[in-house]
Amino acid sequence: MDDIKEGIFSERGISLDSDCSVPVISFDSKYRLAVTDVYEGLKEWRIWFLLAWQDTKLRYRRSTLGPLWITLSMAVTIYTMGLLYGRLFKMDLSLYYPFLATGLLTWSLISSLLTEGASIFLEAEQFIKQVKQPYSIFVFRMVTKCFIVFFHNILVFIPIILFFNVKLNFHTLFIFLSLAILWINGIVYSVIFAILGTRFRDIVQLIISLVQVVFFLTPIIWSPSVLPERYQYIVKINPFAQFMELLRNPLLGSLPSAYAIFFITIVTLLGFFVSFVVFARYRARIPYWL
Amino acid sequence: MAAIQLDSVSVDFPIYNFSARSLRKQFLRLTTGGALYSQENIVVVKALDSITLKFNHGDRVGLIGHNGAGKSTLLRVLAKIYEPIQGHIHYEGSISPLLNVMLGINHESTGYENIMIRGLFLGLTHRQIRIKLKQIAEFTELGDYLFAPVRTYSSGMQLRLAFAVATCIKPDILLMDEMVEVGDAAFIKNAQAHLNKFIDQSSILVLASHSNATIQRFCNKVVLMEKGRVKYFGSVEEGFKRYEIV
Repeated sequence: MDDIKEGIFSERGISLDSDCSVPVISFDSKYRLAVTDVYEGLKEWRIWFLLAWQDTKLRYRRSTLGPLWITLSMAVTIYTMGLLYGRLFKMDLSLYYPFLATGLLTWSLISSLLTEGASIFLEAEQFIKQVKQPYSIFVFRMVTKCFIVFFHNILVFIPIILFFNVKLNFHTLFIFLSLAILWINGIVYSVIFAILGTRFRDIVQLIISLVQVVFFLTPIIWSPSVLPERYQYIVKINPFAQFMELLRNPLLGSLPSAYAIFFITIVTLLGFFVSFVVFARYRARIPYWL
Repeated sequence: MAAIQLDSVSVDFPIYNFSARSLRKQFLRLTTGGALYSQENIVVVKALDSITLKFNHGDRVGLIGHNGAGKSTLLRVLAKIYEPIQGHIHYEGSISPLLNVMLGINHESTGYENIMIRGLFLGLTHRQIRIKLKQIAEFTELGDYLFAPVRTYSSGMQLRLAFAVATCIKPDILLMDEMVEVGDAAFIKNAQAHLNKFIDQSSILVLASHSNATIQRFCNKVVLMEKGRVKYFGSVEEGFKRYEIV
């Protein structure tokens, strides 16, 4: 203590015990800081866009086809699965193929958002611990990366449109709104998963195994119409089934049902609210948990 | 005029998955590291304990102390990476942390791509980076290698690239964790001069180092830390004298 008194404290008159028990960040400024973080993060779109683009490119850097491998592996999956399951379900291939392709394309986007969301901050550890950046840029980076991959995948759908004569029409334009809604949901739910995943490392594994289950419970390879009436609730209460409809219907030339839109509106608002509260409360803890 | 004022700043680290009770007692006796204590069944390290300091314009501050005394944590708190759980910090001027020279260097990307990303992280715009690009390219002496992936570089060349980008800005409050060590003999003279100029531009320097020679060369004040507390803040000679006693 004597050493310290010779230093700066005595001359500035600052007591060591001064307001030790008062928390640094008051309740209401926590929310303001969270908003600032997101706002600053959006302003830094160059960084997260470049990082997302780099993430996509790097995975295929030394291969000849590059990111086209994403398209190719999706094509192989869809074309072979369509043949097999179309026969198994005894469905007309010209109807089943477009149905399956839109389902798998949408699901690949949703599942990558789910599985990668929880490890957003874990993967950005080297940045977070070295330089102060808004935490939101890492969320934007991951969600944007998943969408870049999706836009590579969607090319697979083009031959199917031509070959099976899928009727695209005015309703197809709704897909842009659908993607925007999914982007927003991707952001808000990733924030929740990312914070949980940073604090509890088991979350990443848990989500990966749950995604497998959800795949079978969601009408991706099977049509909701094959379900008996008393099991229809599996589709009705499944939020992923609604998102499936939101993206699939426009691609097949119809609008999503009013029920799906209503359901998704509730899910989106809930996501907004919960993620904002969680982010405001735990934002400052993220580097401590890494 | 740049200044930083820390007002009884404390930082606690929770350690999860660390529940061996007998081990905890052992740890408390060790001299290195912050004090460990238990809070609601979670072991907590008190990394910084009521730090009150004031750095003024022109200060060249060296942080000294044993491993785990809280030097790097203090730098990260100053860099706004850890928000303190108690106390507050008042800044005048902008912070330029240079805690890890190799930050964001991606081995599969080319030299140019790395310059771009790191530049954005330093807060530069695309335009500013393009203006500085030529200067950086000349300084690194890497020539056409800048178009090759960084993984093809030798470690010395990687360091040159990282060093050139990291020091291309004009720092205000410069925070450094250990002095940057640069490459081969031919490059070192060039780099030293550049580094000295870079540090001279800053209005405040806070440097953590284990090398007494480095601290004596760059600093005019030292902060001696022990177990997350400030033991001494003042002249370099006196600081080292007390450090040796500890």
